[in-house]
Order: sequence, then structure tokens, then C-alpha cells
Amino acid sequence: MKLPPLDYALPRSLDEAIALLSESEGQAKLLAGGQSLMPTLAFRLATPALLIDLAAIPGLDRIEITAAGVRLGARVRWVDIEQSEPLRTAHPLLVAAMAHVAHYQIRNRGTVGGSLAHADPAAEWPGLCVTCDAIIEVIGPAGSRLIEAGAFFSGPLSTHLAEAEIITSITLPAWPRGRRWGFQEFSRRRGDFALAGIALHYDTDAAGRVLDPHIGVIGACHSPHRLRAAEQAISGQVLDDVLIEACAQAGSAEVDPPTDLHGSARYRRALVHAMLSRALQQA
Amino acid sequence: MDAKVIKEEQIGRSVPRMEGAAKVTGRAEYIHNIRLPGVLHGKMFRSRIAHGRIVSIDTSAARAVAGVHSVVTGEDIQRLIAEPYYGPAFHDQPVLALHKVRYVGEPVAVVLATDPHVAEYAAGLITAQYEELPAVFNEVEAATSPIHVHDELKPAITFPDLKHLKGKRGTNIALDYKLRRGDVEAQFASAAHVFEHEFHTQHIMHTPFEPFVALAEPMDDSITIHTSTQMPAYVRLEIARLLGWPENKVKVRTAWLGGGFGAKVYVKIEPMVVALALLARRPVKMSLTMEEQFYVIGKHATTFRIKSAVTADGRISARKCEVFWNGGAYADIGPRVSQKSGFTSTGPYRIEHAQIDSAEIYTNLPPAGAFRGFGIPQLVWAYESHTDIIARALNIDPLEFRRRNILREGDEHPTGTAMRDAEFEEVLVRISARMGWDQPFDRGTGTKRRGRGIAIGVKASIAPTTSFALVNVSADGSAVLFCNTIDMGQGSNTSMAQLVAQVLGTSSERVRVTQADTDVTPFDMGTLGSRSMFHMGHAVRLAAEHAREQLEALCAETGIEYQDEHSIAQAFRKKFGMQAGNIFGVGHYTSRYQPADHDTGMSKEITPFWMIGGTGIELEVDTETGHVTILRMVNVVDAGRAVNPRVVDTQISGAALMQMGATLSEEMVFNEGELTNPSLAFYKIPGMRDMPVAIENEALEAETRSGPFGAKGVGESGTFGVSPAIANAIDDAIGVRLYSLPLTPEAIYRGICAARGEPLVD
Repeated sequence: MKLPPLDYALPRSLDEAIALLSESEGQAKLLAGGQSLMPTLAFRLATPALLIDLAAIPGLDRIEITAAGVRLGARVRWVDIEQSEPLRTAHPLLVAAMAHVAHYQIRNRGTVGGSLAHADPAAEWPGLCVTCDAIIEVIGPAGSRLIEAGAFFSGPLSTHLAEAEIITSITLPAWPRGRRWGFQEFSRRRGDFALAGIALHYDTDAAGRVLDPHIGVIGACHSPHRLRAAEQAISGQVLDDVLIEACAQAGSAEVDPPTDLHGSARYRRALVHAMLSRALQQA
Repeated sequence: MDAKVIKEEQIGRSVPRMEGAAKVTGRAEYIHNIRLPGVLHGKMFRSRIAHGRIVSIDTSAARAVAGVHSVVTGEDIQRLIAEPYYGPAFHDQPVLALHKVRYVGEPVAVVLATDPHVAEYAAGLITAQYEELPAVFNEVEAATSPIHVHDELKPAITFPDLKHLKGKRGTNIALDYKLRRGDVEAQFASAAHVFEHEFHTQHIMHTPFEPFVALAEPMDDSITIHTSTQMPAYVRLEIARLLGWPENKVKVRTAWLGGGFGAKVYVKIEPMVVALALLARRPVKMSLTMEEQFYVIGKHATTFRIKSAVTADGRISARKCEVFWNGGAYADIGPRVSQKSGFTSTGPYRIEHAQIDSAEIYTNLPPAGAFRGFGIPQLVWAYESHTDIIARALNIDPLEFRRRNILREGDEHPTGTAMRDAEFEEVLVRISARMGWDQPFDRGTGTKRRGRGIAIGVKASIAPTTSFALVNVSADGSAVLFCNTIDMGQGSNTSMAQLVAQVLGTSSERVRVTQADTDVTPFDMGTLGSRSMFHMGHAVRLAAEHAREQLEALCAETGIEYQDEHSIAQAFRKKFGMQAGNIFGVGHYTSRYQPADHDTGMSKEITPFWMIGGTGIELEVDTETGHVTILRMVNVVDAGRAVNPRVVDTQISGAALMQMGATLSEEMVFNEGELTNPSLAFYKIPGMRDMPVAIENEALEAETRSGPFGAKGVGESGTFGVSPAIANAIDDAIGVRLYSLPLTPEAIYRGICAARGEPLVD
């Protein structure tokens, strides 16, 4: 189907975009890569009066790597991350996860800001942000503010983004040398949304003990979150097969997965177990 | 035929697809692209309940929408057509629901507007009041349920063997095919081993990427229907019957089809567009969405109870088959599926005592009909899973067990028809040779377990049917073939052109094939059931031979030696003094057939030819997720002689991969009759990245002596063995046997958990 009739604006600055957004009184939608929004419009599941295209706003497509971490402009696309040579060392987990994001045609268009705003619980990127302590920078009529990824999502397809706020960048804290990581997900078809997925990283001390583990779940949840009991199970310990199994059990016990057409809650719980165990082995 | 005039053999040549360039450059014509002045677009309002009497339909809000031309209901249709019921087997389907609705999604009203979006918006404003009736969805329950989908059975005149059902009341059984051979019960009582299992298949949809589209254009005293159909001649016949018009006032034409797979056989939305166009006195176009296709036609869900007696030395002495076909609310061609495929339910085995009960059953679900394989994949799924279970239980190699029981040339099929040109054993031999069946096999380690399996199936061609063809040779020696075989992507135009060229002694590239247009292309029963290469192939061959006889006479008359298109051109010029004139060659073919006896189901000549297909699978199961990776898929078929080997190869892999989707992921999921996943996001068709790691196809070097140039049909054979070969390989890998399709990762994982005594509790 074709899109419903709507107006289109191509602002040249963030100020202009915020002004348009404020004036629209909730009747406008921001367009970045359009990989979720355009099908939604084509199916007429949403009928906004105005589309505000962020394509002409300068600076939103930059990847900056500094001592503080990795800063991704909101319009950075999956393919930019996938093909970035510096990111392979600056954030290997992020790069590895990109292979799981949909299909390459979608990765050529989809953006990091758009994915966060859409907030699909089965998408890789929101889960990565939650797992990696990302800081989300947003700007609105009252100026800019920073939101921790863990406090950004309010449920499936919903966030704490205020009306007339625009995501401008996402910053992932610096990646220490020697950090261990794993990413595993399971979907029914290659490129589908995950039924369950795990992103994790941890550091180690001189004795090989796990320090500061971060384990996040996607798919088998209503919005991505950390698996605290699973983290607790390995924190301060030297990993072995017994501990990996204990951690996987703790993780699968603490998720609260949905049952839907794609899979039952019980099955997703089993998948969390398998993915978590494999991600730890991968790390 | 004089061999010396043929410069190059056209049969067996992989002539490039004639429409290939037009399709890949986006210039091929499709019905959807036709623009007619004054056209109205129709959008449907559909039933939201599974079974009920219509109390009232409120169309007032829809009529009030600016841009709406009119809103049409079943009663409006009845003002035009007094008995507005259609269908090839039963006249049971109303153009728009009348008095009752019988499934969720049944068309109840149509809004006509110049803008399709206006029509769709207005259709959303229609409401209906129903007196709800209890509904029945499961095919086994429906067989004996007191809930009846139709009050009375109304068989069409087309099929004599349905006559006995006329006027029958109080039943959902729309056809009850029976086969009785020998005494199965005595065998079960005395056999060394008896095995009994029940298998299930799910509802699936064809999902052609060109959804149903039709455009009706009323003329002064006739009507033209532009439609994406596999059966233009039947559309003409059925529309003429509904309107009470002679056939020559109804013109049906097609363009390229964006896939059919059996969805577009007989009539689908054509009666609706015709009725709407005649009521509105304007052209009307209906173009269904991908989502709406799920409510038009699908593939039968089935329950198959199968029981076999096996001797101490591993021979199947008796087999009893009970097959329940879930036909949905309207019969469509379902009764033909349950009979024409039903009689092969015992499989490609030599079985002296056989009993089959194969019943088409009405339920309150969307209709089911023809679907690539015409019911055979559902049957092979059951009997080849069953066969494998028996072999494993008796500790006989599954290949050896099959070879011990397989039908050989001259053997009698349980129906009483002798096997001719049916290379069952050779198909098994070639699969096993390619797979290295007797070689050691890597069984994997840890959470990745490997297994392999084989399966083989048989199909009879639908019979009796008729094809006509006309070859028009122009004065320059080029030719146009007029035939109603529809090229819906299978490459039939290229193959048919090769037959003409072979006979005329010209090159295939000098033959063009017209699109079907019933005003000019002669009758053909339809493009379905892999019948075209055999039936139309014969008609085309005969038409070309008829043309050649006349061309040879023309050459003789003009003193020119018949050689090729150049000599033909010379003869025309000499005869008419310039490049002028035509030669018309006509041909027709009707297959030989002897109807099955009503009481025993037996016949000495039940099919003009047998189709055979087998598949070997090597796969890996992830025991922690249930995910299956197909490492290798080997498809071998007996297609007789391959007219165009490249086309045959793509038919085999296309069929096998389509069936792979039906096996692993596709399923229409119903909740109290309501389809919960009518969208390609939720209905899972495999993508390019889900293909087997390796796939190899083989068409045996074989000859069908009764076929044109030794050929027979191949459009479906690749589907037959896929599902059970995968299930057999899963069992081989992890010792888990599954009895219901689809074999989703979750179903497999649940099987793994149950097998180790820890079933998943929800």
C-alpha cells in the first residue's frame, strides 16, 4: 500500500526540527532511516500529519572515538558500524552484533537513533545500549539532556523520550583492553527479530576473576534489561563450565519472556539459557 | 519425420527463457499494470465471525463517503445472477455472502470507488449484524459433527463421480473416495508386525508474489476479463454459466503471471469483478493485498491415520489409510484433491491388500484447494514417515526397506493400474548414490547432531483432460503458437516453442507463444497438476505436425526442398508472389482414462502417467535450540525426457524449496477460526539466507513412451519427498520423531525435551 497523505519537511538544523516538532503538537514523526516507520505508514498503522526528515541536519552521521568512548551520531547507520575499521578495536562487541541486525538492505538505511526511538524489545541495538551503559543525548525545546540507556525504555515500543525531543547521539563508555565479550541470538529465520539474544562483556583481574560483568537480554523480554542474577552468579569468580551453567540457569530464571506467534515463553526461556551459555563460552 | 532437415535437436536444449529479459528489465506485462479509463476499484468488507446468519448489513456510512460509487452486497448480486453460486466441484460459493457467512474473512460486501484508498476506507465503515452459529474447524471433528457448514450439498455437473452427493443433507463430507483391495483386516490379524500412526499437516498459503488481480470490462454485448489465472478457458465457461450467456460473449485474457502454484486455478475473484462491472456498467478492478490472499485459498490441513502389516522378511502385506482433508468452507477443487491424490495414499509400494478412505470435509475455515503437488506432499509426509519408522523398528536400513517393497515396471498399483515408465527404484538408487548412503557419515558432536533421511513419493496426473493448440506459420517461416498453457514462471512458453521448432525443423527462437486470450487461443483444461507438458505438449506436437504436413505439401507444389525456415519462406514467396499467407496447424489431445469403480476405487487405467520424486537430506540439529540446518538436499525425479534441462532443473529446486518452507516454518495459525498471522512478517516463508547449504537436482535419463518426445510433467515432483526426508533425518540425528508439520525449532526442541523425560511445561 501507499503512504497516507502527509506533509514533509526537511529541516537544515536541530533548532528548526525542534520548532517543527513542537508546533505539530504530537502530529509529526521524525524520519531517520525509515526502516520501521515507512512500513508502519504503508500499512497505515500510523497516520502522522507531518514527516520531519532528519537527513539534512549536519553532524548527525559522525562516529567519534575518543578516550571517553565511542560517540555515535543519531543518524549513523548499521552499515557504518559494520564497516568501521577503528570500531573493531574500539568496540568489538558492537561490530560483532551488527551481523545480526536484519538484512543488509535494511542495514544500509537503518540508524542507531531511529532504532532507539522505535524501541523494539527484540532489536539488537537497544539491548546493546542497555548492556554497555550507553548514554543517550537528546535535545528538545528546553535544551539537551543525557539519559542512561537503562532508564530510557518504558516498555515494548515505548520510551521516556519527551514530546518534541530528538535523539542526537549515543555514547558508549571506553572499551578497556582485554575486555571479554559475547553476543548470541536466535531467530526463526536469518534476519528476523530475535526470539532471544544475549549481549555481554566483563573484565578480568590478574587472577582471571570476572570483574564488573554486564549481561543484557533482548527478545525474551518486554524491553531490554540487564540480567542481574546472572551477573551476580559470575562476579568475582573464575569462569568454568559449572559456573557458566549456573549463570545460564540464573539468567533463564530471571527473564519474563512473552508468549506470541513466534514462540512460547517457556521456549524463549530455554533459548536464553542456551544463548547465555554460548555467549559466555564465546567470551 | 525426415531426420536430415533438422539442423539442431530442439528437444533437450536449454533454450534461454524467452521472457527472461523482459522480466528482469521490468517490461513484462502484468494484469496489475493495466490502466482503463473510468475504472472503479473494489475493496471488500469481510466477515469477522466463523459461522452465522446475516441479520443485516449497514452500508450507509460507507455510501456517504465522498468518492464512493456504490456499495454492493450479496442481495445486489442476486438481482443480476439469480443463483450466484460458483465452484468447479460444487456450486457452493456465493459471489458475496448470501444469508450466511461460513468463515472469518469471507467477502460480505464490496465498496466501489474511483480511488482504491477511498474504497478501502469506506469498506472499513461497513458493519454487519449476525446471528452466530456454532462453528467446526477440525477436519476429524467435522466428519461427524452435528454442526453443518452447508445445509445441502450441491455438486456441479462437471464431475460424474460427485453426482451421488446431490441433495445430500446433514453432512460435511464433500467427497468420500474409497479403495478396497484384498482383505486388510485378515492381514493385520495374522501379520508378523503391525504399525499404526497418525500424522498431521497444517494450513498453508501459496503466497504468489503477484496476489489475485482481475479487471472486468463490460462491452456492448459482451464482457472482457483481464485476469491473472491459470485456467482462462474454465473462467470463460464458469462466467458464461453464471450469466447464462454463450461462451463467445465472454473473453478472458491473461498476461504474465507472477506465480500461481495452484492458487489461481478455476475461478477465484473473477465472478465478483464481473458481477460488479455489470452492476456498475463500468470497468471494475480488484487487486487483492498479500494479506487478503490468505482468505481466498490455501492448502488442506490433513489428518492421516495409517496402518501397515509387515511380514517377517520385511514386506508390506497390507496398508490401511484414512485421510481427512480440511477443505474449509467452500469446496473449490478440494474434492478432486482428496480423490485424485487420495488413491495414491498407500505410496509407491507393492501392496496386495489395501484400503483407503479419503474424505474431503467442509469446515468453517478459509477454503483449501489445489497447491503444488495437489495433496501429494501431505500424503507422502505421512506414508514416508511411517515407512521410516517401520524400517527403523525392524532394524532394516530405510533404503533397503524401500527397495524391498518398491513398485517396479509392470507391477500393479493398489488401484489395479499397471506401472509403466515409472522409475521408482532408479530414483532411490540415484539419491543414495549421490548421498553415499553406504559410506560412513559424520554424526556431529556436542550440541550439533547430524542425521540423514530419504523419502520418495508418487503422483498420478489428473485425468481425463483435454488440450487444443494452434500453430500459425507466417510467410517468412517464423511461427506463433496459440495455446492456453499459462506461463506463470515455470518456463512453459519456452518449452512449448521448442516442441514446435523440433517438428518444423526450425529454431526455437523463431517461435513465439501468445498470451492466453479465449477469443483466439483454443481450449485447454488449465495449467495445473503438471499436466501441460504431457497434454498440451501432445496437442502442440500434433498442431505442429499438421502445419508441417501442409508446409511440405506447399514445398512440393512449389518445387522447393523442405529444409528450414528459409525454404519455407521461399515456398510462400513462390506460391503467392510475395511474402504473404499463413499455414495453420491444429492439434488436440485427450488423455486415456478409465474412471475408478465407485465401490472398490479400482481402475485399469487410472492415470495417463505417473510422476515420481524423491529427496535425500543431510542436516544438523542444534539440540539446545531445535534449529535445523540443511547441509545437503538431493532431489531426484523421473520427468521422462527433459525438453529443456535448465527449466526442469529450476522446476525441481523451486518445488523442493517451496516444500521446505511448508515443512520447517510456514503455518496459518487459527484461533477459533480467526487467522492470527495473515502477514508475511508473521507467516514465515524461507528467505535466501535460509536455503540449504548445498542443493543438487537430477532428472533421470528416462523416457515416457506415451509422452510427447518422451516427456512428462515435472512442476510438482520436487515437492514430494522433502517433508518426510527432513523428519526422517531429524529422527536419525537426535532420535526424535515428529508427527505434525511444521517442524519448527520450538517443536523440535520440545521433542528433544520430551525424549529425555523433561517435557517443557508452559
